Amino acid sequence: MIRVKNLHKSFGSNEVLKGIDFEVDNGEVIAVLGSSGSGKTTMLRCMSFLEKADQGEITFDEFHHDMVTISRRDIHKMRMHMGFVFQSFNLFANQTALENVTTGLTVARKIPKPQAQETAHEMLKKVGMEDRALYYPAQLSGGQQQRVAIARAIAANPRVVFFDEPTSALDPELTGEVLDVMKKLADEGTTMVIVTHEMQFARDVADKVVFMDGGSIIEQNGAKEFFESPQQERTLQFLRRSSKDYNYYI
Amino acid sequence: MDGRIFNLLVESFPKMLVPCLKMTIPLTLISFGCSLVIALVLALVQVAEIPGLKQLARLYIWIFRGTPQIVQLYIIFYGLPSIGVMIDALPASIIALSLNAGAYNAETLRASIQAIPKGQTEAGYLTGLNFLQIMRKIVLPQASRIAFPQLFNSLISLVKTSSLASSVTVIEMFSVAKKIAGITFEPFILYCEAAVIYLMVCTILTLVQDVCEKRLNIAWS
Ligand SMILES: Nc1ncnc2c1ncn2[C@@H]1O[C@H](COP(=O)(O)OP(=O)(O)OP(=O)(O)O)[C@@H](O)[C@H]1O
Ligand SMILES: [Mg+2]
Repeated sequence: MIRVKNLHKSFGSNEVLKGIDFEVDNGEVIAVLGSSGSGKTTMLRCMSFLEKADQGEITFDEFHHDMVTISRRDIHKMRMHMGFVFQSFNLFANQTALENVTTGLTVARKIPKPQAQETAHEMLKKVGMEDRALYYPAQLSGGQQQRVAIARAIAANPRVVFFDEPTSALDPELTGEVLDVMKKLADEGTTMVIVTHEMQFARDVADKVVFMDGGSIIEQNGAKEFFESPQQERTLQFLRRSSKDYNYYI
Repeated sequence: MDGRIFNLLVESFPKMLVPCLKMTIPLTLISFGCSLVIALVLALVQVAEIPGLKQLARLYIWIFRGTPQIVQLYIIFYGLPSIGVMIDALPASIIALSLNAGAYNAETLRASIQAIPKGQTEAGYLTGLNFLQIMRKIVLPQASRIAFPQLFNSLISLVKTSSLASSVTVIEMFSVAKKIAGITFEPFILYCEAAVIYLMVCTILTLVQDVCEKRLNIAWS
């Protein structure tokens, strides 16, 4: 469904992505792992055009574009089918939870308000936030904000949802409520690309794991295979370091 | 207080209050309204980083902040006719006051817009909104709240700067004060009286500001 080819990105002289090839199939849940600074966020941001790539091509269903020369108009068309969940939630501070979810429907997609609100209530219900529909972001906990952000990201029924460390800004107690929502989406067949440091979650929910190191994807495999028999020394090191009881898994 | 001065104060008060209500305040409000439109355009052009237009906006702000208001007014009213552009005193004053306040308000708005976390704009793009929709629905409602005290400052300042219009033959409050002072030879009394009326207007505006700010602070949190 999405295929990115030879994606390069530098910030000044710092080459952050060194030719990434990345593929997502319909209905697939992909976990992107890698140590800090390996370029995971940058990859998601380039794929959603928040960051301009230096080189690369993207194919997204019927869309096929060079990531450097793509026009604003084409970016907009593709984004209409993408959802994005940020590490820092980024809810619209001047809008209630409900408005956060409806704005993309009424303003961007010109869906009539009553219909949009119905959809929004449904989405908020799905993330367990229907009783907070009229709260402003400042009145919600981090976990609640992130669940609203997920409702906003899935409201327009996107073909793929990107998650950039959705639980990293949350206390451990709040992490669970967000992961539960994501697991539910995965079970419903939502196509998801999830950058995460939650190993257990990746292991349980992802179909495929992509491991990045130093701006390249150095290993990718089915989730089970990835955790049980990592092929690269670097991957093994990473897994050992990120979960202290990794050796017991295998 | 001797009776003559008391009578002078009483007689001149309505003569000054009427041009204050009919000219000073409308001139201020109209100029302020126009300055907000100018400021919004200048701020958005800069935030959107539209090449060419952004530099033009900077040039505009540089010129209008870097030259005296009265010089700008004289150029428009006394200067432009010599190159064939005649503008009446009142529109010339409105133009000069709007252009000048527009430059300052543009900076206020730009800074307020840039104070809104960038993540909200990014989230806006990824929910399918375009630049103007993001500004209208998300950024400006928040930025205007930040900008509010500073914009109100600019409004209060404009009440007083509007007296410059008297120097290009507009009959507003201060020009009436000057006229009466000339006839009665009581400049001290008359100018103090004018000052008190300006102070009254600005006091009322300050009260309005307080009420508005309290209202603004209720929502969203
Ligand atoms: N806007 C930017 N300007 C300059 N350098 C940047 C920018 N964004 C990221 N970088 C650099 O790019 C490299 C990769 O950053 P990125 O955020 O993609 O890593 P990451 O894998 O998401 O790390 P983390 O797990 O800490 O989130 C880092 O060295 C970072 O300093
Ligand atoms: Mg990151």
